[in-house]
Amino acid sequence: MDSFLPVQVSWTPQTAASGSDFYPYTNNAGTVAGISGGDFCVMAADTRQSFGVGYLINTRYQPKMFKLSNGSVLGTSGFYADGLTLIKRINQRLEWYKHAHDKEMSTPALAQLLSITLYSKRFFPYYARVLLGGLDLEGHGVVYGYDSIGSYEPCLARATGSGGSLIQPFLDNQIYRKTPLGILQAPHTLDQVKAVMRDSFTSATERDIQTGDYLELFIITAQGVDVEKYDLRKD
Amino acid sequence: MECIFGFTGKDFVMTATDSTVAQSILIVKSTEDKSRALSKRILLLFAGESGDTVQFAEFIQRNVRLYEIRNGVELSTKSAATFTRRELADNLRSRKQYSVNLILAGYDLTTELPSLYQLDYLGSSVSAPFAAHGYAAHFLFSIFDRYHRPDLSLEEAKALMKMCVGELQRRFLVNLSHFTVKVVDKDGIREIAI
Amino acid sequence: MSGKNCVAIASDKRFGVKYLTISMEFPKMFQATDKTFIGISGLATDVQTLMERFRFKINMYRMNEERDFEPITLANMVSSTLYERRFSPYFVEPIVAGLDKNNNPYINGMDLIGCSTTACDFAATGTPEDQLYGTCEALWEPNLEPEELFETISQTIMSATNRDCVSGWGAVVHVITPERVITRTLKTRMD
Repeated sequence: MDSFLPVQVSWTPQTAASGSDFYPYTNNAGTVAGISGGDFCVMAADTRQSFGVGYLINTRYQPKMFKLSNGSVLGTSGFYADGLTLIKRINQRLEWYKHAHDKEMSTPALAQLLSITLYSKRFFPYYARVLLGGLDLEGHGVVYGYDSIGSYEPCLARATGSGGSLIQPFLDNQIYRKTPLGILQAPHTLDQVKAVMRDSFTSATERDIQTGDYLELFIITAQGVDVEKYDLRKD
Repeated sequence: MECIFGFTGKDFVMTATDSTVAQSILIVKSTEDKSRALSKRILLLFAGESGDTVQFAEFIQRNVRLYEIRNGVELSTKSAATFTRRELADNLRSRKQYSVNLILAGYDLTTELPSLYQLDYLGSSVSAPFAAHGYAAHFLFSIFDRYHRPDLSLEEAKALMKMCVGELQRRFLVNLSHFTVKVVDKDGIREIAI
Repeated sequence: MSGKNCVAIASDKRFGVKYLTISMEFPKMFQATDKTFIGISGLATDVQTLMERFRFKINMYRMNEERDFEPITLANMVSSTLYERRFSPYFVEPIVAGLDKNNNPYINGMDLIGCSTTACDFAATGTPEDQLYGTCEALWEPNLEPEELFETISQTIMSATNRDCVSGWGAVVHVITPERVITRTLKTRMD
């Protein structure tokens, strides 16, 4: 599922010093998804944090989505420490931006910033699969999907992380309504989107051992960010 | 680097093989016929490891002939393809496997229809309106997708064959100077000039 | 995928070598008995060889026993055929789907050496296995009628194969009911 291998792992300062087979990454997995609507955006992630190939659970409740200072939401999966570091760097840059320009950074601008931040570590990447959700300059919901080294695109619905391959085709089916004739996008209400999200995660939890425990929904509207929490399977 | 390909027409199949035998960087021969007639109206084209190719093709050829002698009937193209496929598939798990890619072109008098089968060295067999092996496939499938029709007349088929050969000679890195073009129809197998 | 007194089985139609598509008319299922299908994904040559071998065994069984395979018996036959090659296996993952003599749905998925799993809901194999399972989990529900089952399995296979770059190029769906088998081909994206 996660076949991405970082390019440069054979040598790091640590391996040179210790001579051991130190591997600078681990996979804490988890799933993040986002759906954008007309005037809202729903981001979702499970809260399980597992270790390595996934047989060990570090904790059942460790949120992997973060509300940023400009009101958008960043979800991370993969290597949790890299995710945290990324969040710290992004928040730092948001603060600098605020002091320099006396306003909050827009979500599309943040999307570009996130891309170049990831690319700045092109040859020793952050092992994090991230998703950025928020509202654009017109107040429409937007979700940006990324790979680990900064390629990104805005999308209507996107799932990433260990359960991403299970959820993404379902979102295509429910949100994009893809048919051989093209995309027939139905208008979605917030309640419909929330229902699709909960179905997605209950389904992914059935089959993906690294997804489960609790589901957090971050609902982003012009009024701010609401957080909702639901149960998922815990086995 | 070898090219073999073919396509069906209204009541015939047209096939082509390059005529080059190369060893390493050296062209040894440029008039080789990389095909064998399995019966009056079934033609087998082959490409792959030299030695294996002729050995396997003639093995199939002799066995199809043996079937005819024993049973007094000719094999249909489909039967010949099924037999050939199974020989390849069983051979795949032997100590030393054949490394041969094949195309079977035939015309059946009973159905009065042309048919074409593409078989790879693993023993995967597909019936198709057009077939190509090796690098030729990368150049020719798009031409076939655009220009092939199942009801091609012989003249149209010749024009299509010219396009194929032209494309290979224009864009393919390897210089394939000469192609052997054959037609299989109700009258049998014959070589044609295009 | 099972329904109420019906089962459905679907496959895509692509045959290709790596990223080169060679044929778009290559369904990976065949009818074993009146009410049972076998679907096989994996290495094409083994898929074809096994289809031939299974057809032979099914016909021999029919002649010897003067009755058809029950789905569960068929699954055991498939499983033991694969396990015969324990140490040089066929590279395939078959699914057996059918209705038993009481018209109850039966679905069985196997790995390449015949380790079988009977599912009460659905089974999936092939390159888009993750996508299929994710979509199945979300769209399937118990006791679907044949037409609902057809819609569900069609949506599933189309959504799943569209997220896998080496699957698709058309699909075939068989819905098996006590009375008849409904076979439909689906038009899908050709890229």
